[in-house]
Amino acid sequence: MPNTKFLLAQLGSYLLMSGKEFFVNRYKKLGWTYKEVKLKQAIRINTMNANRDTVASRLESLGIVLEKIPFLEDGYWIRKSKFSVGATAEYLLGLYSIQEAAAQIPVTLFTELEDKTVLDACASPGGKTVQLANLMNNSGTIVALELKQRKMFALANQLERSRVTNTAVYNMDAKEATNLNMKFDRVLLDVPCSGNPVTDKGWFSKRTIEDVHRNARRQRQILTEAAKVTKDGGEIVYATCSLEPEENELNIDWAIGALNVKVEEINCHGEKGLTTVFGKELDRSIEKCRRIWPEQTQGFFVCKLGKQVG
Amino acid sequence: MKAINDFVAQFNANIPLDESRIVRNRNRYYLLSKKLKHQVPKGFFYAGAYLGAVKGASFFPSFLLLSMIAERKANKLVVDKKTAWLFICGRDIFKQGILKGNNLKKGDYTLILNEHNECLGFGKVMHNLREESDANKVVVKNILDIGDFLRREKRQSRRQQRSSRLQGSDRKPHKPTHK
Repeated sequence: MPNTKFLLAQLGSYLLMSGKEFFVNRYKKLGWTYKEVKLKQAIRINTMNANRDTVASRLESLGIVLEKIPFLEDGYWIRKSKFSVGATAEYLLGLYSIQEAAAQIPVTLFTELEDKTVLDACASPGGKTVQLANLMNNSGTIVALELKQRKMFALANQLERSRVTNTAVYNMDAKEATNLNMKFDRVLLDVPCSGNPVTDKGWFSKRTIEDVHRNARRQRQILTEAAKVTKDGGEIVYATCSLEPEENELNIDWAIGALNVKVEEINCHGEKGLTTVFGKELDRSIEKCRRIWPEQTQGFFVCKLGKQVG
Repeated sequence: MKAINDFVAQFNANIPLDESRIVRNRNRYYLLSKKLKHQVPKGFFYAGAYLGAVKGASFFPSFLLLSMIAERKANKLVVDKKTAWLFICGRDIFKQGILKGNNLKKGDYTLILNEHNECLGFGKVMHNLREESDANKVVVKNILDIGDFLRREKRQSRRQQRSSRLQGSDRKPHKPTHK
């Protein structure tokens, strides 16, 4: 016989801890007033396959109007196009990738990628894997992990189309990366997250705080595994497209205490990471992280962690 | 390895592939860099430069392999902009669309390049190009073109929808989002 009181309490807390009003209030407490944002489609030129200006002028000759993204070297917003930019010969030849502007930031934060051994722990659909290969000029090694079998073919297609030749893809959970018996100079953690209302119009109606907590726990497990496979002195870039501090600043605050990592200075688009979250004081170094509230881009959070020696 | 060499030879081409770095994974062939071969463990799903797959007696090349052939001396036809677009859409090639390379004979296999010398795929020559005077005749039959990247995604997503319907997995709520 189910305990009715318990079920009612559960239902009550579900209603209180979910819905648009609940999350919008949280954002307000964090310093951002919610507003609807229309996401602009963006592309990134694969400079290992073609010259940036040449590709831009080829696209413009097709009638596609581009706008240079000011905070990205190879990124352009699509201001106007009569047809899908995913169906041009230039796209199919791997001369550019379709990648949201904020999502182009994390890979650019690594230092010295050429000839390095890199782990892309949650790789699908492969936009950032291609970007890594691009910045590595197809040198070194990338190991790309993807848990979901159904996403593997799309990832492989993306690599073939973009002429990536330095990557090995495994159908593996990032939480088991130590099974590879490899150590990495650079680790990209573009972790699965709760997402944000800009990229998912039905976000408010389907997310609850419990989802956020569950994702945060999973992200901590991935962070723990990543720290184990990173060489001393190596770099971990952690990114989410979530606005929830549990998946961002609070996870990094936990990692500083638990994983022998420190937050490193980065210079990119976005505001300083929050060091006070719902009254809780966090490590001061978290302000070196970057939080991007939706405006020109989707919502995003990114930071670079240095694995400390010993 | 023989399947790859035989395929390349159909274009009157030869590419020096280091056999020791070619790895077969199920029916797929990959060319690994020295570093990749040395570093990565077995059991990968995809690695290095994908060369193609063997299905039955046929070899299905990757676009990377076609680009590698296109970099060398081989049967090639350069086509104009409109023909290039139609070819990517799966169409055959008319004589009037060819800009360069008219000495191929009936039965030859040829790479199709656009005006920027980028390989768009390959086809089979249907008539001796030098002798064919009808500009509106199909002279090259499309066998594979880069539009296949879009077509295969549709095929794969249809296959996944079918299998998820069978497993009922599309009913699971609140999956984490991934960018």
